[in-house]
Amino acid sequence: MKDRIFYGILIAVCVVGAAVSAALVIYTFQLYEHASIISYIANGG
Amino acid sequence: MKLAKQILAIVLTAAVFASFDIAVYNVVTKRYMNHNSEAMQAKSVELCKYLPFDENSEIVKINSSFKLNEKLPVIDGAAALYPVFSAFVNAVYPKESVHFDGENFTSDSALHYTNTRGSYKAIVDGDADLIFCAKPSEEQLAYAKEKGVELELIPIGREAFVFIVNAENPVNSLTEEQVRDIYSGKILNWSEVGGKNRLINALERNEGSGSQTQMLSFMGGREIKRNIFGALTGSAIGFSFRYYVEGIVGNSGVKILSINGVYPDKEHIANGEYPLSSNFYAVCRKNDDNENLRAFIDWIISEEGQKIIEQSEYVPLK
Repeated sequence: MKDRIFYGILIAVCVVGAAVSAALVIYTFQLYEHASIISYIANGG
Repeated sequence: MKLAKQILAIVLTAAVFASFDIAVYNVVTKRYMNHNSEAMQAKSVELCKYLPFDENSEIVKINSSFKLNEKLPVIDGAAALYPVFSAFVNAVYPKESVHFDGENFTSDSALHYTNTRGSYKAIVDGDADLIFCAKPSEEQLAYAKEKGVELELIPIGREAFVFIVNAENPVNSLTEEQVRDIYSGKILNWSEVGGKNRLINALERNEGSGSQTQMLSFMGGREIKRNIFGALTGSAIGFSFRYYVEGIVGNSGVKILSINGVYPDKEHIANGEYPLSSNFYAVCRKNDDNENLRAFIDWIISEEGQKIIEQSEYVPLK
């Protein structure tokens, strides 16, 4: 595999991975803002 | 060989991100996902389920001998008591006195719902005349004093302050001292109280909420300490009022613990055997001279009012 293609794929994986992780963290924070203590415990927290 | 290394690098990079996401989801995100509706989440209680003058409402409906038609005290109160004070309004107030816009009560309604913190502010500020809550917090009393308002608390029924854990937690009962030790950080692991070898995550509520005020009183001055490791990986214990857990939320994923071996059912609350039974109150301004307010309170503690409390699955005074 040419280096250019390799680095292109690697950067794409990093960008997508970072975007998904950031979305998950933001979503989790939004859930936390409205968390119900009873739901939290029911979920195994 | 070079190609294999390149593919390995790409796969490892993807795996690092995936592992991070899976770990965050399992350790944190999953716990906060709500099983209740958005309305329940936003307001602690679904107002529509317990509206007065609504044929589909789940409140207790009685034919009251006592009716008010003018100088109506504006009502507010705690989430855990909303089904009760909505039933009071349904029994005594005229239908046209309550205005609901589909999401909340409007400002010209005689019935409001702003939960404990909002209610204590409303009664002091004069936005409500009669609220239904647990005892006020130190801050709420200080706010009333600052505004020159003296509050009068009239006991109208009894309720249990309860501790809850996940339904699969093998612990069914704790002593009062064990609970205090858990919340003060002396007991950190469920195995110390007969449970699995897992850290304890001792949850608290917002300052000024009825149950948080009750918790601070229960701790008797001992400082509440949160264990960061328990918060991240532990199994939780929380607190609330019995009817809120069983009646309003009705979440089967949690269970209520016995305290000192006594389960907080209606019988044990009524006979005082459950150690964390306490009154809940109708609260008004001491200098409020609206005669209808006093008559309404008298009716609440009369046989008819107490019948509503009992049929709403709370515990009446007698």
